[in-house]
Amino acid sequence: MPEESILTDDFLHELMSVGEVDLLVGVPTYNDAASIGQIVQAIRAGLVKYFPRQRAVIVNADGGSQDQTQELVRAASINDLQQAPSPHALRTLHSISARYGGGPASGRGLYAILAAADLLHSSACAVISADSTNIEPEWIAHLLQPVCRDGFDLVTPVYHRHKFDGLLLRNLVYPMTRALYARQVREPYPSEFAFSGRLATQIFGQEGWAEEAEQDGAKLYLTISAITSGFKLAQALLGNKTRAQSNPPADVVDALREGVGPLFLSLDHYPAWRSNAPSEPVPIFGGRPELTLDPLRINRKRLYDLFRSGVEELAPLLNSIVSRSTLRELQQLASREEQDFCYCDELWVRTIYEFAASYHRAVINRDHIIQALAPLYRGRAYTFLLENRDSQGEEVERNVEALCLTFEKFKPYLEDLWDGRR
Amino acid sequence: MLFAFGVFVSLSQDLQWYKDALIYQVHVRSFQDSSGDGIGDFRGLAQKLDYLHDLGINTLWLMPFFPSPLRDDGYDISDYRSVHPSYGTLDDFKGFLEAAHARGIRVIIEMVLNHTSDQHAWFQQSRSSRDNPRRDWYVWSDTDTRYQGTRIIFLDTELSNWAWDPVSKQYYWHRFFSHQPDLNYDNPEVREEMWEVMRFWLRLGVDGFRLDAVPYLIEREGTNCENLPETHALLKEYRARLDREFPGKMFLAEANQWPEDLGPYFSAGDEFHMAFHFPLMPRMFMGLKLEDRKPITEILQRTPEIPQTCQWCLFLRNHDELTLEMVTDMERDYMYDEYARDRSMRLNLGIRRRLAPLLDNDRRRIELMNGLLMSLPGTPIIYYGDEIGMGDNVNLGDRNGVRTPMQWDGGWNGGFSLADPEKLYSPLMLNPVYGYQAVNVASQKRFEHSLLSWMKRLLAVRKSSAVFGRGSIEFLYPANHRVLAYVRKWGKETILAVNNLSSSAQAVELDLRAYKGNILIEMFGRNIFPRIGDLPYLLTMGPYQFYWFRLRKV
Repeated sequence: MPEESILTDDFLHELMSVGEVDLLVGVPTYNDAASIGQIVQAIRAGLVKYFPRQRAVIVNADGGSQDQTQELVRAASINDLQQAPSPHALRTLHSISARYGGGPASGRGLYAILAAADLLHSSACAVISADSTNIEPEWIAHLLQPVCRDGFDLVTPVYHRHKFDGLLLRNLVYPMTRALYARQVREPYPSEFAFSGRLATQIFGQEGWAEEAEQDGAKLYLTISAITSGFKLAQALLGNKTRAQSNPPADVVDALREGVGPLFLSLDHYPAWRSNAPSEPVPIFGGRPELTLDPLRINRKRLYDLFRSGVEELAPLLNSIVSRSTLRELQQLASREEQDFCYCDELWVRTIYEFAASYHRAVINRDHIIQALAPLYRGRAYTFLLENRDSQGEEVERNVEALCLTFEKFKPYLEDLWDGRR
Repeated sequence: MLFAFGVFVSLSQDLQWYKDALIYQVHVRSFQDSSGDGIGDFRGLAQKLDYLHDLGINTLWLMPFFPSPLRDDGYDISDYRSVHPSYGTLDDFKGFLEAAHARGIRVIIEMVLNHTSDQHAWFQQSRSSRDNPRRDWYVWSDTDTRYQGTRIIFLDTELSNWAWDPVSKQYYWHRFFSHQPDLNYDNPEVREEMWEVMRFWLRLGVDGFRLDAVPYLIEREGTNCENLPETHALLKEYRARLDREFPGKMFLAEANQWPEDLGPYFSAGDEFHMAFHFPLMPRMFMGLKLEDRKPITEILQRTPEIPQTCQWCLFLRNHDELTLEMVTDMERDYMYDEYARDRSMRLNLGIRRRLAPLLDNDRRRIELMNGLLMSLPGTPIIYYGDEIGMGDNVNLGDRNGVRTPMQWDGGWNGGFSLADPEKLYSPLMLNPVYGYQAVNVASQKRFEHSLLSWMKRLLAVRKSSAVFGRGSIEFLYPANHRVLAYVRKWGKETILAVNNLSSSAQAVELDLRAYKGNILIEMFGRNIFPRIGDLPYLLTMGPYQFYWFRLRKV
């Protein structure tokens, strides 16, 4: 049986009807009927309001939903078949939905959208997550305008977040990506983002991207590819970020698999990380993100306990991943009382770099490496929560910045590990 | 039946002849000067009737040719029963009319009911004193605050619909220029007199009137003074008289209104025979620029059904600006940006340009737009000179840039006049792209593939089927929105029109299952296309290409 293409014949058929466009907004879905209607309506409103003259299409790349996801997307079209014409829309706004091949996977969805953007010669393309239920029409403008108006190639989002939201992002993904690839992208693994047609064409044409689409973390690769290929980057403030309630909170191991695994893997694919250039800021459109400080109930004790038990139980495994000295320090840390516990920046950065090097060498099964990181990450999260318990937004930001600088400072350590000098 | 130039030509006896009409709009002044005074005239126009007959049109619409101070291109009439001396005499007109009819060409003339020139004897008498018997022939007021809800049409020149008359010390009402006072149709004498004016021309043999500015005939406080029931009652009264005394003659309404407001002008088939479809025209241009059929299909969906005896009049360009009154603000901004980036091209709420320059002189787009004009439901009007792709001169004031002399050849004054060029009523187009040496009838007659030759072919194909003028329309909605496709039906005849509005090649799948078993015959080349089956009918189309297919069950 021939291998099924991600871009199915149905998908191609739908694209054929749309033809060349100026703007494309992609929404990867899989059984998202609960939220998709609202999201597509907001996208449609944004396109009509902010881009009335541009040829635009909403492309839903669906993983094979069994609910009404696809029908709801199609219903958002503005065309001449409607009973009530849209007086505010100058032109047809297609809203197409097609199943991509190969079964549901976020990477395949993104790949299908990239392919659509390339085939339709879209000059700017935005991708919106199907669980962004608080999306506003303005998001479309904020994401696409830097591409259309200012010539940026990749626009990643920044959000107003709670100071304890996005712990993995702030403690690992952001600072490590920044240290490795020298660009200060706050959300390197974005759920909403925009990119230029040039970038889409480059990525789509890159050898191996179809394979990477099969892996988790395709969005991270998009960001890294944009950075390492010298494309122009910007960030856009979108407002608050909430997610659809229907989705269960991500399991830590799953989150690590999705966010950290690809980041570690990127070291094998993108040798540019070995550059010693200092990190550069990336402009933010729409204002500075703010941290909200509402009281939040978090079971810190559980994080502490899971760290302690994890270090104890996984010691043989950790022994093959991290250096002897690091393991010793972790064990000492695990023996400390809760009030004395501090998984400091330096030890955390060394731990991560050693994990990354072991992942590179595949000293054990790579997924086991990621799983072994889970208790350590919980320990780091505990420290972050404790450290910033009474902090205002600026202080939290200072602490995150200090961690970033530590990641940058210790980058030679990672290179030594990589080259077997340690 | 008449004998003329070796051929017998008869005017159709069909009372609904206007449905099959192919109208050519021309200003006598602009077409051909026979006297050498630099101004076109009726004798000159008569000389060019063979050209028009050869082109394939069968109806002429003449712009105002009455005595006038010509401050609004003749729409400011100072005598309704005569001919402006620059254009000849009444006898010249009669001779022209007879010659046109001899060639099977009907003639529609302008009837400006709403207002006269302030130089008209009626107004001169009316303003002479407040107790003059004709005082009440116009709308007078002590204040300029009546009818506050009425919009100003010529925004660029007029600040108010009232003008102060220093002679009789009152304000008079004018919907257009202040030198065009509105007649008072609440006065029975005015109603009667204007009918007598129409009778005068009908007795001479004209075939119909384009009734100018009809929504504004009557004013009422608390309204916007447009489309009032009293206005419709008056128009119905005129129509009843027309049918009674002159069956087969026709009224065409100039009412620049939204489609839903135009329905009453047809009423139950007892008001106007035809009305211009103003909102469609800008949307055709918009659809072309957007490469999207939505503006066109949307406005036609909004267009009400009209009585069987009635007909829409369609046009691409005319003597006025491309009016953008019947579009939304967003659409207007778009049209200005796309078609009139140079502000000198804008006038009032419109764009004062001819067809060819509007379309960047792109032959493919000119052909497509003419193809749409000829295949959408209605009677098409070609504006003089557009059949050869004449240009415009925005440096001339008002709308005069689209009223320059017809370009007949590359010789003296473009063949328009033997006068010294300085004496011409308007400068000729001289630039290297649109000038008379580059664009003229004589040169285009020499080539089979010139725009003029192509237009002749288009008109011939259009005339080959009554479907275009009389048939129903059913839109197909292929997923490819760049393609506008529709089926026209009349009796046993079915025609499929497919138009690619985009600048690139397109593939389109048409759901023609309802016509399964038919073959398609392309109407220009008469080539056979594959038989319609159960599957979507796939067509590939070049940039701006259009097809007309006759469906034949074989």
